[in-house]
Amino acid sequence: MSSALVLILVVVGGYLAAHVASDWLGRRFLVVSGAEYLLLGVLLGPQVSSVIGADVFGGFAPFLTLALGWVGVVVGAQFSLQELVRLPAAPYRIAFLEAFLTLAAVSGAMTLVFTWMFRMEPATAVVPAVALGAVATASAPTGIGLVARRLGWRGPVVKQLQLTTAIDALMAIVAFSLLLTVNHAPPTGTVRPPTPTEWAVISVGIGCVGGTLFHLFLGNERKIDRLAIGLAGATMLASGGAAYLRLSPLLPTMLIGAILVNTSGSREEIRRVLAMVERPLYFVLLIFAGAAWVPSTRAWLLPVLVFLVVRTGAKVGGGYLGARFNDALPTLGWGWGRALLGQGGLAVAIGLNYLLQEEVPLANLVFTAALVSVIVMDVASARLAESVVGSARRRRAELYVAAQSGRTEEA
Amino acid sequence: MRRLFILVLLLGGTQLILPLGAQGQGSQALLSFGFLILAAYTVGELATAVRLPKIVGYLVAGVIFGPHVLGTVTLEGASQLAPVSQLAIALIAFLAGAELRWGEVRDRGPLLLKMMSAELVCSFAALFGLLYVFRGFVPFLADAPEPQVIAFALLFAAIAIVHSPAVTMALLTETRARGPVTRTTLGIVLLSDVAVVVFFSAALGIARMLVPPTGGGAVVSVGMVVWEIGGALLVGALLGGVVALYLRYVGKDLAFFAILVAFFGQEIARLAHVEVLLTLLTAGFVTENVSREGEGVELLHAMERSAAPVFVVFFALSGAKIEVQQVAALLPLVIPIALVRAGAIWTGMRLGARWAGAGEPERKYAWMGLISQAGVAIGLASIVAEAYPEQGAVLGTLLLALIAVNETVGPILFRRAIVASGEAAPDGEGAKAARAPGAATGH
Repeated sequence: MSSALVLILVVVGGYLAAHVASDWLGRRFLVVSGAEYLLLGVLLGPQVSSVIGADVFGGFAPFLTLALGWVGVVVGAQFSLQELVRLPAAPYRIAFLEAFLTLAAVSGAMTLVFTWMFRMEPATAVVPAVALGAVATASAPTGIGLVARRLGWRGPVVKQLQLTTAIDALMAIVAFSLLLTVNHAPPTGTVRPPTPTEWAVISVGIGCVGGTLFHLFLGNERKIDRLAIGLAGATMLASGGAAYLRLSPLLPTMLIGAILVNTSGSREEIRRVLAMVERPLYFVLLIFAGAAWVPSTRAWLLPVLVFLVVRTGAKVGGGYLGARFNDALPTLGWGWGRALLGQGGLAVAIGLNYLLQEEVPLANLVFTAALVSVIVMDVASARLAESVVGSARRRRAELYVAAQSGRTEEA
Repeated sequence: MRRLFILVLLLGGTQLILPLGAQGQGSQALLSFGFLILAAYTVGELATAVRLPKIVGYLVAGVIFGPHVLGTVTLEGASQLAPVSQLAIALIAFLAGAELRWGEVRDRGPLLLKMMSAELVCSFAALFGLLYVFRGFVPFLADAPEPQVIAFALLFAAIAIVHSPAVTMALLTETRARGPVTRTTLGIVLLSDVAVVVFFSAALGIARMLVPPTGGGAVVSVGMVVWEIGGALLVGALLGGVVALYLRYVGKDLAFFAILVAFFGQEIARLAHVEVLLTLLTAGFVTENVSREGEGVELLHAMERSAAPVFVVFFALSGAKIEVQQVAALLPLVIPIALVRAGAIWTGMRLGARWAGAGEPERKYAWMGLISQAGVAIGLASIVAEAYPEQGAVLGTLLLALIAVNETVGPILFRRAIVASGEAAPDGEGAKAARAPGAATGH
């Protein structure tokens, strides 16, 4: 039996064991994790078995680009105007403030760390720092959804959390995509290389024109398998186009998702298709992320630790300030931002997208930080969400009881 | 028409951004691949409108936008996407294996074996005879000495008798057909996958004795053939067992798990030097028959849900590989061969059906499902090209032209068989065609 075959069998065994173990942990301790898929990717990748070598990686690149683009479409599909206009302005202000503060705090802190540790020019250090800021801004909705289902309660805190994760995703994607338009290598063979503003317009243009054309292309198609093919082709075309231009596929596909969900008559079917494919593609993304991981040659431990600490502080602090400035502390509580610490697929997508870009500084470090954050935070995310939602529920119950007893006394 | 117009706009859009991109990067292949999927989807719908199977539309889209006509997908891009195509065929093989039930194999095994044997022997003899008799018209046999003529006629016939599990599964999924004709066709196609390995290995062994190979390539021994088939059954059974255990004790994320099974299955088969398709077929068969009631069905449903995009990808990429100019140049030679092959399949199946005592529908229609050819034959042709670089290349080109013709005509015939035998599901695509005026009578 060849050594490669033994390695594959070890990988399969390792994966199955990790999957069973994580499944048990998930049920027992409320852990939302895809860590076993990351592990599988590392085992399959060039660091261990080389089953996913450079040629295989290239061959399966369509799946990877599709997975990146799909993340964008899923994020965009959350922005249904019909549903968004029903919410008052305050939750938006809170969400945007929290997202902006997290982005600014992590980007600023990491710029300082990179400048100090690696003796980089601030103009260079800001590129990986903003990429990490975008990773930090992303929050996973999975843990919140799981807790809401488990408690069977969808109070104002849950609604605020769900809106905030959507706004976080929007902010993260826009910030990261703009970063790539600013830090864009000029294409060869053109008369004049496009300016950053023009790259940004091209990026938005792919999304808007693509979204409109795909809306017309899909028409009133309602069959799930046909919609799946159409959406897969559309996502691959848009994300392939963006990747070909060395732009992020996330922004154009997010716009496509938003346009489709707001204009199509089959929006429910589109959402069903997106939900159906989201999980398998997320796992593909995790596997490729694991396979693409290369240990950073730089000292990575301190920057990653700083990233985790600053992100945690920024999420909790940003959430607190947002709630305080909008008089929402009694409803949300001071530490509601803890529930936003989970990272999820978008963080992996941004990290991987950054890694795949050419000529960006500290690519491995940014990617390592994103992966570590995903593994660490996703283990605790559902627990943290449960503590926030649970205490909000108790607070609401106490307020209700207090109001009832007040009425009784008055009577 | 609306979709076609949008497709043209999208094509224009992609051409617009091409100068701004990084030339030679893999992302260009992705861009064109996304376009190819949308194109295949559109042409597939158009094919349905004119009562053709969708996969013919996917193939046509692949041909039109492939490297040999419009060049939207470049040669480099098509070769970069080869792993996607291989994964698709692995998934299709697993799905095909899972379609077979042990009870059915036990009850219908003798009938299938008899029909398959008659069909394969007839086709093999007819194709060998054709090439041997009309050697003067075949480029690489015209002036060749007698042993070389026999050797290459044997190899050609051994490859040309191959069927296509992918086309069979695609049509069954599209029409959701159930009945004796479809079951017989599927059974013969799957069984013949094993038989063809034996046929081909024996033919290659004889050819090596008659004409010593000029190129590399491993020497084929009886032991190797036994391992290739027996090993595939063993590895496939083990893989199926692992999948059944997963279904029993974990049973989550089945669509994703199906992709992993296909990926690992083909990698393991390749490393163990066993037949890939047979490994996955066996794995599918074992999974379906060993799993508890309902568990295997869930996996099957998960795979069927992902089957439609897989077929689009597989057949569009297959179409992109067809070299139209080369096929057109060889048509005067290929069409008679294709006709003789079809006639031999028809004769073999009639004889086999009589021998096995099969029913009227199988006798009448099952042969139409055996015309299609696809990936397996291409793989075998490349083995010949490795052993005999000079003649193998010409033989490969001729075979590719024959496969291109059969790959296009085969699905149309099989669909007609399904519709005419009344086995298409009421809500399947085939039934819609059947309900169309004059469809059953062919008018």
